[in-house]
Amino acid sequence: MTSVDFDAGAEATPRSSKVVLGFSDYARYLIAVVFVGFSLFPFYIVLSTSLKSESDIFAWPPVWLFDVTWDNYFSALFVFGGTGVLPFLINSLIITALSTLLAVGLGSMVAYGLTRFRVVGGSHIFFFILSTRFAPPVAFVVPIFLMIREAGLLDTHLALILIYTSMNLSLVVWIIRGFFEAIPIEIEEAAQIDGYSRLQIFRKVALPLVKPGLITTSILSAILSWNEFLIATVMTQNTAATLPVYLAGFSGSMGLEWGPFMAVGAMAVLPIMIFTLVLQRHLVRGLTFGAVR
Amino acid sequence: MSQSRAARRAAFILISPAVLLLLALNVFPIGFAVFISLRHWSLSIVNPPRFAGLFNYQELTLDDRFINSLSVSATFVLIAILAELVLGFALAFVFNSKLKGLDTLRKLSLLPVMAMPLVVGLVWFYMLNENFGVINWFVTLFGAERLPFLTDSTLAMLSIALADIWQWTPFVTLVIFAALQSLPEYVFEAGRMDGLTEREIFWRITLPLLRPAIVVVLIIRAIDAVRMIDLVFMMTKGGPGGATEVLPWYLYTTGFQSFDLGYAGSMAVVMIIIVTLGAQVFVRQIANPEKGR
Repeated sequence: MTSVDFDAGAEATPRSSKVVLGFSDYARYLIAVVFVGFSLFPFYIVLSTSLKSESDIFAWPPVWLFDVTWDNYFSALFVFGGTGVLPFLINSLIITALSTLLAVGLGSMVAYGLTRFRVVGGSHIFFFILSTRFAPPVAFVVPIFLMIREAGLLDTHLALILIYTSMNLSLVVWIIRGFFEAIPIEIEEAAQIDGYSRLQIFRKVALPLVKPGLITTSILSAILSWNEFLIATVMTQNTAATLPVYLAGFSGSMGLEWGPFMAVGAMAVLPIMIFTLVLQRHLVRGLTFGAVR
Repeated sequence: MSQSRAARRAAFILISPAVLLLLALNVFPIGFAVFISLRHWSLSIVNPPRFAGLFNYQELTLDDRFINSLSVSATFVLIAILAELVLGFALAFVFNSKLKGLDTLRKLSLLPVMAMPLVVGLVWFYMLNENFGVINWFVTLFGAERLPFLTDSTLAMLSIALADIWQWTPFVTLVIFAALQSLPEYVFEAGRMDGLTEREIFWRITLPLLRPAIVVVLIIRAIDAVRMIDLVFMMTKGGPGGATEVLPWYLYTTGFQSFDLGYAGSMAVVMIIIVTLGAQVFVRQIANPEKGR
């Protein structure tokens, strides 16, 4: 790693057009390829294990060439745990979709309200919302569990939808605010002259203009809700239990049911991976939340 | 200039739903956690909760498991963050070049960031298995004996850190890389014109300019590492012998396996205090990044 030369910004000189591979360029490729291999290897393991027969799974040394079997997916989908993964998959989809819709809806409303209206304590409200990004779920799960129980909402979709919405708001507000600030105020003033009310301007003029921001925040909120485990396992049992809760239920029988276990893992991870690759451009700004202006 | 009544109404409609939700699921739970922590509050006995004063906090100071969980958490955070920062930083420079194909490699390397943490724990648990894990196969390729990755206390901690490093190093790379790309070219030109060597440019120009991004990514990672629980759930359940019992895991098992909510509540309060201190630094940094320089 010591051979990396720190030539930040040097690419502005027309070096790239020469395409001469110096030692340092080889080093770049080598390190990058090793790193990508390291990053992708566990995904390969999830996928390959989910397609292996039981004897291949426990084989030593590990088998690299094997006969593909779909049995694990069959038992994961319909058999394992009595019901299979399907009801949990559906719960995950419902909760992810609705909490994303709510977080992006409420988040863009408050972001617009704070950028375009003079609100007493507006910047305090903004930083309060940002600071909720750091609320550790494990510390909030005790009081929220008792609140949800008191409200009679344990094991309901509504409980997770509301909690996930509140968890994703900070991200949405942070990203969308930048998009609203970038809209020239003249456009909205013109709409006002045309007789639009303030709320109509928000819905019919401003929101359509920040569509890229809405896409970014929707993807990120959806992935965060989809992946969440701790809150889900405390708040739900059966009726509203999500995919991670189902997956965690395997951990008692681990060592025996690796195949279906990995098949569920693959179902939980691979759609998100494809999503991430296709929509990466939209994700970067969201991921660099607060770190790069 | 005062806003019209209609504008004030519009602002209220836009801002209040999100704020109300956060008051209910973020602010109120903090107060409620304090309330719970001052009581004997168990789910496993029928007696109603009764006031305990500072009893739970007093217990914390005497509880070896709690003290252990603090030091385990601190160890985990330090190992993971340090490795992620060093690796992520170096890789950002590796990728900071216009070489053909490097951009695609960089995008592929980002995939772990979005993976469901529970599945990350699952696949590393599988790969690190002492008997048939593929990592041990690599170990034997180098002529060594298979290692008890998850049952030896030192190795278990390193294994969990490794899974975390796998998932989050690409995130650090992304942030530093984005910051690097946003640096204006002319400052480097100026440095070269003043006769600085590449090494001097790195230490005197690049590094100071990257400082705000480094600070922010460090705090984000630290606060997220403090709350980490999914990997422990899947890989070690806090074992062996408490070697990986991080604070969130001890809090969770106290609350939802021993059902001692009062005691778990006092840990939650301690955790919220720790994280709030970190978040303060973060919010100040993004509110006024110039201060950090």
